[in-house]
Amino acid sequence: MGVRSGHRRWRFACFGVLAWFSLINVSHAIPAFARQTGQACVACHVSFPELTPYGRMFKLSGYTIGTRQKLPLALMAQFGVTGVRNNRDDQGQKIVPKTDKPVLSAASVFAGGKINDNIGGWIQWTYNNLAGNGDVGHSGIDNTDLRIVGRSDNTDNTDMRWLYGITVNNNPTVQDVWNSTPAFGFPFTTPPNGIGAAAATMLDGQLGQQVAGVGGYVYWKRSIYFELSGYQTADGFFAPLRAGQDIQTPGGVHRLSGVDPYWRLAYNHEWGANSLMVGTYGAILRLYPDNTMPFTPTDRFTDIAIDAQFQHISQLHTYSFQFTRIHESQDYRASYPATLAGVPIGVGPTPANSHDKLITEKLKGTFYFNRQYGASLAVARTYGTADAGLYAPGSVGGSANGKPDTQGYILELDYLPVENLRLMLQYYGYTKFNGSRLNYDGAGRPASENNTVFANLWLVY
Amino acid sequence: MMRNSVCLTVIGALLLGIVTTPAAVSGTPPISPSDDAAIKLATQVCSSCHGPGGNSVSPTFPRLAGQQEAYLVAQIQAFKDGKRNEQEAHDYMLGMTTLIDSATAEALARYFARQPVPKGISGNPAQVAAGKKIYEQGIPDQVVACSTCHGAHAEGNGIFPRLADQHAEYIVRQLSVIQRNLRNSPVMHGIIKNLKPEDMKDVATYLQSL
Repeated sequence: MGVRSGHRRWRFACFGVLAWFSLINVSHAIPAFARQTGQACVACHVSFPELTPYGRMFKLSGYTIGTRQKLPLALMAQFGVTGVRNNRDDQGQKIVPKTDKPVLSAASVFAGGKINDNIGGWIQWTYNNLAGNGDVGHSGIDNTDLRIVGRSDNTDNTDMRWLYGITVNNNPTVQDVWNSTPAFGFPFTTPPNGIGAAAATMLDGQLGQQVAGVGGYVYWKRSIYFELSGYQTADGFFAPLRAGQDIQTPGGVHRLSGVDPYWRLAYNHEWGANSLMVGTYGAILRLYPDNTMPFTPTDRFTDIAIDAQFQHISQLHTYSFQFTRIHESQDYRASYPATLAGVPIGVGPTPANSHDKLITEKLKGTFYFNRQYGASLAVARTYGTADAGLYAPGSVGGSANGKPDTQGYILELDYLPVENLRLMLQYYGYTKFNGSRLNYDGAGRPASENNTVFANLWLVY
Repeated sequence: MMRNSVCLTVIGALLLGIVTTPAAVSGTPPISPSDDAAIKLATQVCSSCHGPGGNSVSPTFPRLAGQQEAYLVAQIQAFKDGKRNEQEAHDYMLGMTTLIDSATAEALARYFARQPVPKGISGNPAQVAAGKKIYEQGIPDQVVACSTCHGAHAEGNGIFPRLADQHAEYIVRQLSVIQRNLRNSPVMHGIIKNLKPEDMKDVATYLQSL
C-alpha cells in the first residue's frame, strides 16, 4: 500500500506538472492573415487572440478574405520569467525547473491563409523548449483548423444570408469564434513552468492535438450559429493532426473510442459598438481508460456548457467580458468495476465512485485603452465530487480530502508598443487548490504557495 | 436525324429563353463583371464592418448606403494613395483597397450609392438645434455653412459626401482627423480648422438625426 501510494503520489505530481506544460497555450495571432488582407491585427483582434466581430466573420469565412500569399507563413516566440511563491516541496526538492530566470518557452511557425475563395485554414507547428520534465526541447503540431466554406446572399444582395462550411481541426472549440470557449479562452498564454491543478474538464483543453474533428456549421444572418462535429482519436489519415504526441506511453494522451459528437449553438447580436453572444456547447466522449489499450471497455464523459460574451469595441476604449460553465458528468462504467475488482485497466483512473461530477466556471473582463494598454481580471474555479480514488493525497500534486476543487484569480497587465509585440505580466492567485486552502496536499502545503507570477514577451511576425 | 436536329434546336431555344428571360423581362441593363465582383465584395467582405447594404451598426465604420458615388470612388483612391492617415484607415482600409481595381471601385461606389438610406437616430434636442444652426448658417467669422457644399438636406453632391444619417461618432472623428491633417482634405481643413469639439458634437448629432 505504501509503495502504491508513493507511486500514486509521484504520478499526481508528474501529472500536475505535465498538465501545466500542456497548457503552454501558444498560438493565436497569425500575421500571415494580416499580410493576406493588408489589415492591422486590431481589425480581427481586440488583442490577440480575442476576435472582433469582423475577426469572427473572417474565421467563419474560412480565412479566405484577401489575396492568396506566395509564402503564407508566420512566426511566433515567447520569452518569459516565471516565479512560483514556494517552488520547494515538503522534502525541499525543487518542483518545477527553470523558474526565476528568462527562458525561451516556445516558438511556433504557422502556415495559414486562403487557398481559394472557398478553402483556407492554418496549421501551427510549435517547438516547446520546456517539454518533458521541463528541461528538454520538443516539437509537434499545435492548433490546426482547415475549412471549406460556402455562402448565399439575401435576395436584395445586401448581405450573406447563410455562411456555411466544414471544419477539420484537432482541438474541440479551436474552431469556435467566441473567446468564451476554452481553446482560445483566457488566459491566452500561461507560464511554461508553473504548478497545475489535478482536475480539468475534458473540453477545457484536455484533448488538444490528440483528436481529429470533422464538423459542419451554418451561420444565419450573423445571428444564429450551429455546428455539429464528430471527434475521434487522430489516427490513420488524421495522424498528422497529433504529430509529436507521446501516444506510446500509457497515460501520455487521451484516446477516444469511435466518433464522438460535439455540438455548438450560439445567438449573436450586434448593435452600435457592442456585440453579445449567448450559447451552449458540449460533447459526449467515450474514453479508453488506458490509451495504449484501445480494446477495453470505455468510460463516458458528458460535457455540457453554457457561455456568453459581451464586447464594446471603439478606437479609444474597448472592453469585453466572457463567461463559461462546463458541467461534466463522468461515468466510470469501465474503470469503476475494474477498480472494484482489484484489476484497474492499465494506468487508467481508479475511481472510488461509479459516477462523478466536475464543473469548470470562468469569468473574465478585459479593458484596453487605445488598443495598446490593457488589463484583464479573471476568476475561475473547478470543483466536483470528492473521489479519493482519483484525487489522492500526495506532495504538491495531490489532494488531502479527495476533492478536485481549485479556485483563484488571474490578473494580467498588457502593453503593446507595436501591434505584433506584447509585453505582459500575469499573476495567478489561488484561494483553493486540489480540494482546500490550507494543507491541501496532506503534506502541509497551502494553496497560496502555488501563486505564480509570469512576465512574458510575446512576439508574432 | 432531321427530327433530332429540330428537337435540339427547340431545346436550345428554350434554354436560351430561360437564360435570357429575366433581363429581357425586367429591362434592366446587363450586369458587368465588375458589378458582379462588387456585389460579391460588398455582401461577403464590406458588410462585415459596413453592415448589410452599407448600413453599419458600429460607429467606428461609416454608413455607406446612399453615399455619393463620386465621393466613394475618390475615397477608395485616397486610401490606396495613402492620403488618409488616420489610424482606422491604416488598420482597416489601406490593405483592403489595394486589392480593388478601378473598375471594381467604381462598381462598388455604384452599389452603395443605390442602397436605400437608413433612418436617422434622434439625439438631444438642444444639440440637434445647435447643430442645425451651424449646418445651415455656419459660425460667423469661423465656419461657413456646411449646407453650401453638402446640400440643404445633407444629401451630398458629387465629391462632397452625404452626411445625413451618418454615425455622429464617425463624423466627430473625421472632423477631428481632418483638423489635425491626418486625413488629407485641404479645403475641408481650411473650413473647420477653428471648429470647437463641442460644435463638432452638435453638428454630428444633428446630421445623425436626419
